Amino acid sequence: MKLAWQNIIHDRSRFSVTVLGVSFAVFLMVFQGSLLVGFLRAASRLIDASDSDIWITARGVQAFEFGTTLESRVREMAAGVPGVMQTDRVCMAFAVYRTPKGKQQVVALVGADPNVGKRFPVPDVPELAGEISPDAVLYDVSDRDLIAVPVLPTEVEINRHRASIERQIQGYGAFLGVPFLFTSYRNAIRYLGFGPDDAMYVVLRVSKGSSVSDVKQSLQERLPEVDVLTRDEFAHKSRMYWTIKTGAGGAILTAAVLGFLIGLVVVSQTIYANTMENIEEYATLKALGAPKSLVARIVLTQALLCGAVGSILGLFAVIPVIDHAKSLIPWIYMPWWLPVLMVLPSMVMCSLASIASVRNALTVEPGRVFRA
Amino acid sequence: MPKSRLTNTVCEDASELASRSHYSAASAVKTEVEPDLSVHEGTSSRFLGVERATVSFGEGGARVCPLRGVSVMFKRGTLSLVMGPSGSGKTTLLSMLGCLLSPDQGSVFVDDVLVNQLSETEKTAIRQKKIGFVFQAFRLFHSLSAIDNVALGFELRDPKQSQRLEMAQELLDKFGLGDKSHQEPNELSPGERQRVAVARALAGDPPILLADEPTASLDAQAGRNICQILRNQVDEYGRTVVVVSHDPRWREFADRTITLCDGEIEQKENDL
Repeated sequence: MKLAWQNIIHDRSRFSVTVLGVSFAVFLMVFQGSLLVGFLRAASRLIDASDSDIWITARGVQAFEFGTTLESRVREMAAGVPGVMQTDRVCMAFAVYRTPKGKQQVVALVGADPNVGKRFPVPDVPELAGEISPDAVLYDVSDRDLIAVPVLPTEVEINRHRASIERQIQGYGAFLGVPFLFTSYRNAIRYLGFGPDDAMYVVLRVSKGSSVSDVKQSLQERLPEVDVLTRDEFAHKSRMYWTIKTGAGGAILTAAVLGFLIGLVVVSQTIYANTMENIEEYATLKALGAPKSLVARIVLTQALLCGAVGSILGLFAVIPVIDHAKSLIPWIYMPWWLPVLMVLPSMVMCSLASIASVRNALTVEPGRVFRA
Repeated sequence: MPKSRLTNTVCEDASELASRSHYSAASAVKTEVEPDLSVHEGTSSRFLGVERATVSFGEGGARVCPLRGVSVMFKRGTLSLVMGPSGSGKTTLLSMLGCLLSPDQGSVFVDDVLVNQLSETEKTAIRQKKIGFVFQAFRLFHSLSAIDNVALGFELRDPKQSQRLEMAQELLDKFGLGDKSHQEPNELSPGERQRVAVARALAGDPPILLADEPTASLDAQAGRNICQILRNQVDEYGRTVVVVSHDPRWREFADRTITLCDGEIEQKENDL
């Protein structure tokens, strides 16, 4: 196997091109993978942040961002279903936000009851009691430029209602270019002009000892005019909507696949050229009695070595770039398993790239060694 | 050089050595590939050679016949020189002896085994265990140092050999290349490269050495060195060496000279 390594490092420029090709492919795959993972996470982030077991939505709601109001009786009827321990309300609607300097901006205003979840970013959760006013409005730090408040707190207008921006939070930045603002449920319905009993989503917690699926079934039977989904089902539905139905996920996936294909072509080309350049040596190896398996192993090892070195370089390059990209794309997210997972397709890519080369090396006629 | 005396003296020891080498190598091959086509086991009459071998390439008007019914056997522990003009069939003969080409008709024997009907895998095993090759163009692996080239020869013959670097160094020392063992082929002179190639061919102790124009790319002194090295392989180790060459210097070192012309044997000198 020393021959495999020596062959590739002997021609350093070609080796560099191959390694660059693999690095580029790995970079693109990890970057696009991080976009996709981040996009999926962002698409269901608020649903995942709730501590609820079940979400009730109006019939046909595809994603959290596109809810419509439910009749007030839905919450009351849901509360009466055996196994339901607690009901809370969540709403989200687009509103017009006016900065202190008079600039207008469309925002996605989210309101929720205090017990919807510890991680749900509303000001009146028990954890923030006393720190800020219950009717405060929160925004994500990544939307600082769009919200444009010079100091905290600052008085602004939301749908012509006076509101107080009081705190920056993290991890809930603009998903589709429209910044989120978070406030208490009662405050939100005031800004949005909803009635006091209106709700867009009713979220439920199931009492201990009750089965979520049984409660869900009972709710669906009692409320046939709405959709009853577990938290995971609604999160999944939201993610599928944003990634598949809008085509956004397809675009990201396409870029990742393109990265793979570009890498495949670059590596194939260079491994093939390397093999053809050394084809006489493969003929010599065969003449000297090297079995086909050894010849194949040498070519494959060369491809995999390029893959391994290229993957490491690609990962070293992409990690700081993703960190830097967070300032522009706040929802980009690279879980620890993604780079590990991407090494596998890069190795598959290199193995595929070596197929044509292996074939040529195996079929070369050893008798040609006697030609000077 | 008093060739006949030397040859006769050496041949007795050589045949003993060669026979030992032959049987150990043959058993190694049989373990791996189980060829069952042995003929005349234990005799040297068909140790290495071809019988009524005819080879042709191409079809119709483009058909060429580099060998026509050639029969020639090479005895153990001898150095045979095959001469002849270009296109006379020398390289074709060597290719058959090296299990790299099968005749259209006739038989090829290597180490008493009829090889032309063996599978490719079996022929590969025979090349691996029994035949060392020396080429006109050296055919060293350009990215490997001299010692790694020789070590690769050991590795091919015995992948489990853990002392191959030490053994390669020993061979290079023997050929006066001990101080150049870590140089790559393009840093060596043609003569040195050919000595490395001979060392690689000898790695693993094959009983047969086939050399195709081994001195054609060398100057007079380097060429003479190679002639002497290959002669020593016969005299000291009892190997069977077949050299294809235009170089008349080889006559001095050969036990026997065969001249081919138009695919047929024109002359056999000192026929053994």
